[in-house]
Amino acid sequence: MSRAVDHIVPPEVAEEELFRAQVYALLARLLARAPDAAFLNVLGELAGEGGAFGAALDQLADAARGSDPAAVEEEFTTLFIGVGGSERTPYGSFYLTGFLNEKPLAELRADMARLGIARADGVTEPEDHIAALCEMMAGLIGGEFAPEEGDVVGLDGQRAFFDRHIGSWAGRFFADLETSLSARFYRAVGTVGRSFLAVEARAFDLAA
Amino acid sequence: MTRDAVKATEEAVKQGKGTQSTDKGLARRELFRAAGLGVGALGAVAAGVTATGGPAEAAPAETASTGYRETDHVRKVYEVSRF
Repeated sequence: MSRAVDHIVPPEVAEEELFRAQVYALLARLLARAPDAAFLNVLGELAGEGGAFGAALDQLADAARGSDPAAVEEEFTTLFIGVGGSERTPYGSFYLTGFLNEKPLAELRADMARLGIARADGVTEPEDHIAALCEMMAGLIGGEFAPEEGDVVGLDGQRAFFDRHIGSWAGRFFADLETSLSARFYRAVGTVGRSFLAVEARAFDLAA
Repeated sequence: MTRDAVKATEEAVKQGKGTQSTDKGLARRELFRAAGLGVGALGAVAAGVTATGGPAEAAPAETASTGYRETDHVRKVYEVSRF
């Protein structure tokens, strides 16, 4: 029997991990660029399943239904790109040190190399952008990368990455997003992110 | 879930002990459910999520490395969350 069988996870656990990957991918998508009309329509159909995160999803759906695509695009630019300095700077290094491209980015790059994660061709943004980090978490959960040691990055490895590169600052970023003056749609994104990261952190504690 | 935990779960399943891996795994799962992170809460959105083409995207490096094996689970994650 092939060794690959070793990695088959019981279905109910697999679904749970799958769901985590989906939330990270959703956050990555929303923070990498503004949603277009089609994506806003899909977001508007979200229905939470109770709890703090469920309530946050309901808010996101409400926000999506009440948002004009052009306005969301403008909001995204003002928040994250803005001429003469954006309202928010969604980089780990900035949040942790007050400057871009500082030591936290170097540490992230070292971990990325160890975990077999490379920046896509043509991407010039520093890797500690929140969207990139969420994408990396989704990939780690999905076993997408090729770490130097071992076949997959288990919960312990995911936790180490989360603690070092996300948990230390991203909660503050999402909370800031919730109170950003220019934010309308992205306030709801901030709430989804903050409540998800809180659950993630507690869940890692439980698994320890 | 660590590989050891997965193995332990498989052993438990083989021995007819159900699919619960550990008390920790159960507590973790219940935490997700209580928070509203139930499976399927994202529904159609999951299929619409694609993180590719963003300003800061990551790409897998050398996925053909010997350390990498694609299981059905991994493929499912790809299909739903990444494509």
